[in-house]
Amino acid sequence: MNPLLKLDNVSSFIGPFHILQGVSLEVYPGEAVVILGRNGAGKTTTLRTIIGLVPASGGKIILDNVDLTAMPPYNTVRQGIGFVPEDYGIFDALTVEENLLIAMLQEDQETLDRRDHVLELFTDLKESYKRFASTLSGGQRQMLSIARALVNDNKIILIDEPSKGLAPIIVEKVRDTLLTFKQKKTIVLVEQNFEMACAVGDRFYIIAEGQTVLDGTMKELMDDEELQRKHLGFVTA
Amino acid sequence: MPMLTNILRKKPALGPGMWLFLGLFAVLILIIPHITGLTTTTLLSRIYILAIFGMSYDILRGYTGIINLGHALFFGGGTYIAGIMFSRMGATLDILLLAVLVSMVFAAIVAYIMGQFAFRGSGFTGVIACAMITLAFGEIGRHSAETLREYTQGADGLTFRVPLMFQDRVMMYYYALLFLIAMTLILRQFVNSPTGRVLQAIRDNDQRAKFLGYDTKKYKLIALVIAGMASAAAGIMFALLTRFANTELLTVQSTLNALLYTIVGGTGTLYGAIFGTAFVQLAQNYLLELRGIHEIFSRWLLFFGAIYVLVVLYMPKGLVGTYLQLEEKWRKRKIAA
Repeated sequence: MNPLLKLDNVSSFIGPFHILQGVSLEVYPGEAVVILGRNGAGKTTTLRTIIGLVPASGGKIILDNVDLTAMPPYNTVRQGIGFVPEDYGIFDALTVEENLLIAMLQEDQETLDRRDHVLELFTDLKESYKRFASTLSGGQRQMLSIARALVNDNKIILIDEPSKGLAPIIVEKVRDTLLTFKQKKTIVLVEQNFEMACAVGDRFYIIAEGQTVLDGTMKELMDDEELQRKHLGFVTA
Repeated sequence: MPMLTNILRKKPALGPGMWLFLGLFAVLILIIPHITGLTTTTLLSRIYILAIFGMSYDILRGYTGIINLGHALFFGGGTYIAGIMFSRMGATLDILLLAVLVSMVFAAIVAYIMGQFAFRGSGFTGVIACAMITLAFGEIGRHSAETLREYTQGADGLTFRVPLMFQDRVMMYYYALLFLIAMTLILRQFVNSPTGRVLQAIRDNDQRAKFLGYDTKKYKLIALVIAGMASAAAGIMFALLTRFANTELLTVQSTLNALLYTIVGGTGTLYGAIFGTAFVQLAQNYLLELRGIHEIFSRWLLFFGAIYVLVVLYMPKGLVGTYLQLEEKWRKRKIAA
C-alpha cells in the first residue's frame, strides 16, 4: 500500500534557525500517527511545514501522489489537508457559524450535510452557533477548531497539541472526539499528553533536534520504559 | 435605544418601532433642504459624499486590516477625471457616464497595480511596507497631477461646469443622498458576503486564513479594487458638487481625512464612516464659524489633532463601536438583573 502522506528528509528554517534537519515519515490511509518529542524538537514545525506555513528548504512532501513541497498553504489545504493548530486558529470577530462557513471550501449539499453532522457531534457548538467565537471557552474553541477541519472532505487531518491548556475533563472530551472520527479519517497528531497519544495513536514517530529518530507502533512504545525515558524524558506509570 | 442598535448591526431586525423611526428620520432628511439654507444643504451633501470615501477606507482599514496611505489617489482621481472630461469634452450626461466608466477602469487598474506591489509582505513588516508603498503611489499621483498642469491646472485648481441636472444645489442634495444610500447598500452587501467574511478573517489573522485555503493576497486585491472604485465614485460625486478639483484632493492629508472619518466613527462598522464624516465635517464647520470669536479657531487642524488623539486613547472603537459596546454591556446587565 502506498503511503497517503510521505515526508522524505524534509528540512526547514524559521528565520535563521535550522529547525527541521531531515524529517522522514509515512502515514497510511486510515491510521493515526502520533509525532512525539521533547519541547523544541520540531514537532509543530513539522506540521507547519507540511501545510506550507513554514516553507520547506529541502526534501519532499507528497500527499496522495501530489508534491506539496513548494506549494503555498492556501493550495496545500485544497489538496485535502485539515489543520487544527495549537492555538485553535479560530476567528474571534466571527460567530461560530461564520467560522464554520469560512472553513467550508465548497458550499455544496455534501459539505452542508457534513457541517450538520459535525454540529450533531459537537452539541456545544450547536448551542453557541450564533455566538461570537471570542465568547467560547477553551474547550469549545478546541471543538470549533476540530469541527472546522471536519467540514471539508479532507484526506488527512493534522492536529497540533489538542489537549494543551485544557482542563482534564475537557481533555477527555477532546480524546473521545478524536476517537470518534479516527474511525473515518487519517490523522497526524502532535501531542505531549502521552495518555492521549496512546489512546488515539496507532503508530508513532519521535523527533529529536529536527530529525526523526525512531518510529514504531504505540504498543511498542507503551511497553518499553527505556525508550520512553530515553526519548521522551519520562516513564508512564 | 435598541432600535438604533438594530440599524447599526450588520443584520438589522426591522420591527414596527424601527419602521416608524426610519420613516420619521427619512422625512427629516428629505425636507432638510426646504427648511434650511443652501449652506447647510451643501454641507450635508458634502457629508453624504465624503462618507462613502470614509466607508471605502473602512473596507480596507476596518474590514481587511490594510493601511493604505495613497487612498486619496482614487478619490482625487475620480474628481479629476470628471473635471478634465467636463472641461475638455463638455458638461453633458453622456460625458458624465463616460467619466464614470473611465474612473472605474482607472481605479480598478491602479488598485490592482498598487496591490501587486503593496501586498507582498506579511505580518507587521508587511503592514508597514504596504503603508509605505501606497504612500509612494499616492505621491506619484499627486506629483503627476501637479506636473500635468495643462490638464489639471496644478495646485491652482481646475474649475469646470457640470451637467445641467446637477447644477441645482437642492437637487444635488438628493443625488448625494441617493448616492449615499445606494453605495451603503452595495458596500454592506459586499462586507456581509462570503468574500467580506474572508476579509474579516484576514484582518484577524492573515496566516489562519491561509491555512483555511484562502489566497489572502488575492482577497486583499479584491478589497483594494472595490474600495478604490467606491472611492473614485465618491470623487466623481464630489466633482459634481464642488465643480472644482485641485491637487489637495490627492495628498496624504486627504487620505488621513478618510482615516479620521473611520476612526472617529468606528472602524469595521461601515456605518461608522457616516457618523465620523458628519462629526468631523460639522466640527470643522463649527470651528471655522468661531473664527470671529478668536483667531485660534481658524487653526481648526490643531483641534482635529487633539480630537484624533482623544478618540484613539479613550474611544478606540469610535462613536458607533463604543455605542454598540455600551449597549451590549447594558443588555448583559439587564439580563443579569
